[in-house]
Amino acid sequence: MRLKNIEQLQRDEPVSDIRRILSYRPELFGQPFSVFLEAAIRGPSDWSIGERELFAAFVSSTNQCTY
Amino acid sequence: MSARYTNYTQQLMEAIIESPGETASTLRRAVQEQAAQCSSHATPSLGQLPQEVHAYVKKVALHAYKTTTEDIEALRNAGYSEDAIFELTLSAALGAGMIRLERGLLALHGGRDATQEH
Repeated sequence: MRLKNIEQLQRDEPVSDIRRILSYRPELFGQPFSVFLEAAIRGPSDWSIGERELFAAFVSSTNQCTY
Repeated sequence: MSARYTNYTQQLMEAIIESPGETASTLRRAVQEQAAQCSSHATPSLGQLPQEVHAYVKKVALHAYKTTTEDIEALRNAGYSEDAIFELTLSAALGAGMIRLERGLLALHGGRDATQEH
């Protein structure tokens, strides 16, 4: 993810806030959260990945947060 | 909580609260608890949190989208580094997020509607 951040910066493209948060001091939050998120969104479930992505996007919108 | 996710949440909690950093784990744990109390609409006990931290934690827990540069500057002026603020923000988000997860799972298993309690 850090490499992608650097590539975006080199192209003068803004790096999203969430990507910054996940990249900075990843041992504190980004790494364990990404593992959790991967399991929750893409792990075995009665819901499809798309449905779970939709749930997350809906909750983010109610929190007035970009997803 | 489903056993499948217990390990993930436990590792996330330990990382945020226990990882080496600018702030003490005791402070991060207190922030986590305050955020959880705010989010559950319980009357939070002021407890151990400094006033400027308490105000920030309450905003992150209830209206995170309302946080502004001024909120961060207030913490900086109170002596907190950006790394310390990062740790406290994550701790507050952890507390707020986990209480929502717990309430959702409680409702799933037939718990009382929290809105009826207040």
